[in-house]
Amino acid sequence: MKTLVLVSHPRLADSTSQQFLKASLPPQNVTWEHLESQQKFDVDREQDQLRQADRIILQFPLYWYAAPAGLKQWEDDVLTRTFVYGDHRFPLADKELGIVVTTGMPEKAFQRGGAEGLTLDAALAPLAAVAARAHVRWLPTFPIYQFAYLEEPEKLQLVVDYQRYLTQAQPDSLEQRQSWFAHKLPAMIDQLPPEQQATGRLIQAEFDQQKDDIEALADTLAMIKEQEDD
Amino acid sequence: MTEQAEWLHTQIETLASQQAQFTNRAFWLALDKLVAEQDRRNDQLQGEVDGRSWRPDRW
Repeated sequence: MKTLVLVSHPRLADSTSQQFLKASLPPQNVTWEHLESQQKFDVDREQDQLRQADRIILQFPLYWYAAPAGLKQWEDDVLTRTFVYGDHRFPLADKELGIVVTTGMPEKAFQRGGAEGLTLDAALAPLAAVAARAHVRWLPTFPIYQFAYLEEPEKLQLVVDYQRYLTQAQPDSLEQRQSWFAHKLPAMIDQLPPEQQATGRLIQAEFDQQKDDIEALADTLAMIKEQEDD
Repeated sequence: MTEQAEWLHTQIETLASQQAQFTNRAFWLALDKLVAEQDRRNDQLQGEVDGRSWRPDRW
């Protein structure tokens, strides 16, 4: 799967969350681009990148219940009517669109009656409408609330949750999570120092066994349920 | 948690603590959480299989 990450942030170098996310990028199959660092968008190149991606990620801080102006400029320049839907070819159809949004307020603020008074889904409605028009599949958003207050265990978790959001098949079920880790494990074991590799392989064997056991139990259960229907 | 799961958790935790790079440590710790989830799901599925198999009306 090819993922295109488009970051909109007017002061990227000053943003600890964006620097953290950049350092967390999966090593392969991800293209990362900062929108504000381009004086003028090369529309053909941008559209070509979109055509080639399987999953498109828009990543930005929430400014006044919307993305920064740079993303809107990119939309207005790159997402031309003909490109998105005008000639009925829908080049973005069946691709996935994910939103990684950072907020200065906590999760509980984003609900009716909360300090912000609206949900993130409501704030992101215009982007969802663009996705619908382009026949792009909208993924559940990936919000990062108050990055500055995260403790180390939460940051460690964020690294992998973010990587999975960029590259793991949807929906985010146990089955898909298992496949994602199973796919990554061999390379991670190879990276270990020689004296740790045996432990790595043992862990993988146990993990695979658990995965197989769960599949077998799920099959048995499906059979029982089928018989109950008779 | 089963003894096997406990053992696996310790192995992964130890391996994670030996990783110098933050993103590598993150991977093993996230795997540890997934293994705990596998263990829970296994328990639940086993319980459901047992429960549904218990059909005195079909004796």
